[in-house]
Amino acid sequence: MKMTRTKRIGAMGLGLALLAGLLSGCSGDTGKETIRFTFSKREAIGFMTKLVADYNASQNKTEVVLDTSGVDVVSASFVRGNPPDIALANYNMETSRFVQRGALSDLSGTHAASLIREDLKPLMEQYGSYPDRTSALPYSVMASSVIYNKEVFAANNIEVPKTWSELVAACEKLKAAGVTPFQATWKDDWTIAQGWFDYSVGGQVDTLDFFKKLAEEGTDVGPDSSASFQKDFDQPVAKMLTLARNYVNKDAASRAYGDGNLAFSQGKAAMYLQGPWAFSEVAKTAPDLQLGTFPLPMTDNPEDLKVRVNVDLAAWIPEGSKHKDAAQDFLEYLYRPEIIEGYNKSQLGFTPTKDAPVTPDPRIAGMAGYYEQGKVYQGPSVLVPKTIPIMNYTQAVVFGADPASTLRTLDADWARLAFRQ
Amino acid sequence: MSISTRAISATRGNGARHNGTRRTGRRVEPIYYLFLLPSLVLFTLAITIPGIIGIFFSFTDSIGIGDWEFTGFTNYIAIFSDPAILQSYLFTFGFSIVTVIVVNVIAFLLAVGLTSRIRMKTALRTIFVIPMVVSGIIIAYVFNFLFSNSLPTAGAAAGIPWLETSLLANPDLAWVAIVLVTAWQAVPGSLLIYIAGLVAVPGDVYEAADLDGASKLQQLLKITFPLVAGYVVINVILGFKGFLNAYDIIVGLTNGGPGTSTRSIAMTVITGFNGGDYAYQMANATIFFVVAILISLLQLSATRGRSAL
Repeated sequence: MKMTRTKRIGAMGLGLALLAGLLSGCSGDTGKETIRFTFSKREAIGFMTKLVADYNASQNKTEVVLDTSGVDVVSASFVRGNPPDIALANYNMETSRFVQRGALSDLSGTHAASLIREDLKPLMEQYGSYPDRTSALPYSVMASSVIYNKEVFAANNIEVPKTWSELVAACEKLKAAGVTPFQATWKDDWTIAQGWFDYSVGGQVDTLDFFKKLAEEGTDVGPDSSASFQKDFDQPVAKMLTLARNYVNKDAASRAYGDGNLAFSQGKAAMYLQGPWAFSEVAKTAPDLQLGTFPLPMTDNPEDLKVRVNVDLAAWIPEGSKHKDAAQDFLEYLYRPEIIEGYNKSQLGFTPTKDAPVTPDPRIAGMAGYYEQGKVYQGPSVLVPKTIPIMNYTQAVVFGADPASTLRTLDADWARLAFRQ
Repeated sequence: MSISTRAISATRGNGARHNGTRRTGRRVEPIYYLFLLPSLVLFTLAITIPGIIGIFFSFTDSIGIGDWEFTGFTNYIAIFSDPAILQSYLFTFGFSIVTVIVVNVIAFLLAVGLTSRIRMKTALRTIFVIPMVVSGIIIAYVFNFLFSNSLPTAGAAAGIPWLETSLLANPDLAWVAIVLVTAWQAVPGSLLIYIAGLVAVPGDVYEAADLDGASKLQQLLKITFPLVAGYVVINVILGFKGFLNAYDIIVGLTNGGPGTSTRSIAMTVITGFNGGDYAYQMANATIFFVVAILISLLQLSATRGRSAL
């Protein structure tokens, strides 16, 4: 017995020694300060890998390590108190949690912060902010609107519609010619929320103002509040349903995003309510298809036309980072004009800096003018906290649920969330 | 713990008094406690402690990171008026009850068939057990494709209009698809238990019944069924418990849709992690935990007599 106990303790000691050896191996001493850079946008990892290699070769103070693990891993790293040193990540309600609870450091003193277009700041603040801090800087803005098949439009003598009546007329004309006006993919609820719902609401409702009022009303949101889903979204949703009921492919309910890309690339429909990410998917089967974009007209005034934008990437440095200075140096490098503009060009994004030239790809040229003039909005579906299943709700409405009662549910959900937060 | 320590000291005391019977006096080898230790440590670290932390945070407004403060029972009050959560409970329980019945009826009948004198018994048993080894999410994606593409195509070709749109896109019927696929995966497990039970029934009772002139159906209802009743109880309890935690098959088939019609409790709890609503969903999980314990107690007390059979 005594013998085995000694052996056991010996084995334990050996294990501990091994573990200690492994751990110390992590902090390898190269004389450079190592910072961890989180970036997980799949399509651009190749671009970023090269950028990081270039930066590491260009100076000998900092070694940047690219970390491509996804959003959930990053959230977990905050919980463990070991966040990345710098990140370029999608800016949304999830990231805004880090902002609101003060987990991100202030970037207002950086040169990069002074480059950002003033009119984009409300879009960032729409997700909430922390007092006296610029917690995140936009890096890449994606605009999305109706994607249309130029060849189908030309073949049917249709101009890009600028008003609701023109849109309906165009749909009728296409339908009469036997062409499906819209390719819909309702099996994937996000495609309804992102395209159908957001474009319809954003084209008619001032979402900045609406969500500001909604936040002020809080627990009082309901039929009598100054802003409510049941009142303000009633019209846009009705119009969305007009399009959804009459002008889509017959099998919309059982088609998913991938099916939609394929069908659209085969010219089976004239329009597609998707973002720029769909271009590369469509190009896989139809690389030479002539595509364009235009904002979905929801009113009869062409002045109301706006495009949906989202901050596809924003840069932030966590408060918990132990290498903030090195991370800020890398941040300034990322915002050098040739780097940020090169990145956005490669990803069909728009550069959010003040003097960036807009030389868009022909496929997104239809949105450039609106972006430059600041005629943009963020989609309501991403401005509702994720705990409210808004994507499911929009899908239910398209599948036949009563829109009025669904919008009332949304109001009740919003008020309940306000009650417990 | 204290009881077992006392037991040990008692046996040790015995051993000391009757020195001659050293071998028999020391009944509990300490090595057995060593065997328990890894599970005890792991269970405490991975289940009990996180569970208690979770219950603690359900009384706060935490989002998982950063600052938080106590909010008392606010989360619980909000849950009881949240139609999305109430609906997820309704769906999950309805789904579990239906699935338990479907699975057990099919598994029992299959087991009776597979234990009778038929040809290719072994091969057939193997085939029926195969779904058990495929992971749920893969099964779900395969069936998703069948429901969304193959069935509608077949429906269109055969001119059956209601089959032309996917079953998964129908808010009133999507749950049927989920029951079917879950049953497809769950039947083999129950089937194996029933086969084990049926094999254990002694052959002479059937011979006696044959002599008395009982028909095969009478034998099934009056002999087989009562003798495997204990196995039915096991299958129902295990199955029900598993179906209450339904997650992967639903995610792969409908992802809670269409609308919110097939969101299970586990799915709503998970949204607390990726939707930044940690404390609220911890409250939901706590309620679910209490409900699950109540059900287990009910099942235990209702089946105590049965399992003694």
